[in-house]
Amino acid sequence: MSRIELRDLTKSFGDLAIVDPLSLDIATGSFVSVIGPSGCGKTTLLRVIAGLEPATAGSITVDGQTPRAARSHKRVAMVPQQPGLLPWRTVYENARLLLDVNRRANPPEATEPTPLLHEVGLGEFFDAYPHELSGGMQQRVALVRALTLGAPLLVMDEPFAALDEITRSEMRSILNRLVEGRGVTVLFVTHSIAEAVALSDRVLVSSPRPTSVVVDVAIDLPRPRTADVEDNPRFVELCATVRHALHQGMQP
Amino acid sequence: MSRRVLAPIVGIIGFLALWEAVVRIGDVRPFVLRAPSRIAAYLADHFGDYASAAWVTAQHALIGSLIGLLVALVIGSAMAASRFAEQAAQPVLTLLQVTPFVAYIASVVLWLGSGTRPAVFIVALVCMPAFAFATVDGMRSADPAARELLASVDASRAEVLWRLRLPSAIPSLFTTARYNVGLALIASYLVEGGNFANEGLGAIGKRAAALNEGDALWGAIFAMAILGTIGLLLLSVLQRLVMGWHISQRARPT
Repeated sequence: MSRIELRDLTKSFGDLAIVDPLSLDIATGSFVSVIGPSGCGKTTLLRVIAGLEPATAGSITVDGQTPRAARSHKRVAMVPQQPGLLPWRTVYENARLLLDVNRRANPPEATEPTPLLHEVGLGEFFDAYPHELSGGMQQRVALVRALTLGAPLLVMDEPFAALDEITRSEMRSILNRLVEGRGVTVLFVTHSIAEAVALSDRVLVSSPRPTSVVVDVAIDLPRPRTADVEDNPRFVELCATVRHALHQGMQP
Repeated sequence: MSRRVLAPIVGIIGFLALWEAVVRIGDVRPFVLRAPSRIAAYLADHFGDYASAAWVTAQHALIGSLIGLLVALVIGSAMAASRFAEQAAQPVLTLLQVTPFVAYIASVVLWLGSGTRPAVFIVALVCMPAFAFATVDGMRSADPAARELLASVDASRAEVLWRLRLPSAIPSLFTTARYNVGLALIASYLVEGGNFANEGLGAIGKRAAALNEGDALWGAIFAMAILGTIGLLLLSVLQRLVMGWHISQRARPT
């Protein structure tokens, strides 16, 4: 069964087409990255799937529901590009923000953030405020905050874009560790080819606006993946494939 | 003593010393300008009268500005939520801000009677617009990523208001409160001069001005200054307690 199904989805703002008719199936438990040039509508596509923006035409189901229903049942967990931590809440309080709002909708799978915070190495920072944390630590809190919902779908919009290269590679390992074996489906938007390949089961290369998938690259690297995956010759090959697809997609 | 405490004291003492020197060296006549030492001596002699009057003025200013703040939070929330409400309220708030309230004190006293009520009413009225604008600005400044995040779990409007928008308005509300401390005290003083209750520093000042009692008038002015300083001090303490997380409250250059 697919976790996400798009059928001839289109999205436009007025006359401006953002997403061309797009059909897509994303399997349960798979990690799918969308990579494409800036301003190609990836974020809009993500917002439509998360139920924050209505589709113009076509249909979407998320976990068997409309995106709007999935959203109101807290079935979609978001990790935005900026961590969006509330400066007046401690790390622990921020990590449980999504549990604290709209409590009635908390699914049975929802979990306390405590073990997750320990798992991402923030065990000693429960009472720290966001301004006391590095960028990577803040984004780890954002990751935990999303996972507390126990949602079957994790939607991530360039979550590591603002981080330095060393922290990014650390975050890749953490994310791989967190989602492997949890059965969570991840939709991940990125600009980084290496990031997409290191994390994903599938990389969708998108064209400039309006968004359409030019190439669908299966990433057959073994799991569980560690930082060493980037030394694998197959990793290098796959990066090259994605890069060529990107260039091909950019041609008019 | 830390520099944070020392610096303002140096500033005040320096200012008073300069004033004293100008009066003494320039031989300024007392009805033009009195020496601070003379005003201080007069205040010390009449400490009880001034202390009880200052307490009345402080209550007017505090209660009035708190009511103004509460009303502003309601109006500001509505303005932040709806462009229409904002555009409708803006000219009215601006009107309130620019109208010299001295002009309608007498009408308000006629309407609400003498004593505390007109004082509290006018203080609330003059403090409210700036608080309302601060509420709107603060709420609009709420982190877009956090707004998106709350939307993604279908948070209700009330939750977004309570958990995100109101806390986001706290910094701008404190900034406005610093400005409103002075405004609230001045409004209290002026209403007390015209509300026939013979209470508060404003009543002392009014009578002193009418009877040409310069010492008593300057005593009232000094007492007002002390009151304002205490008000700002308490506000700073409150700000440190409430806003420890905010960038403005963190380590300053020493």
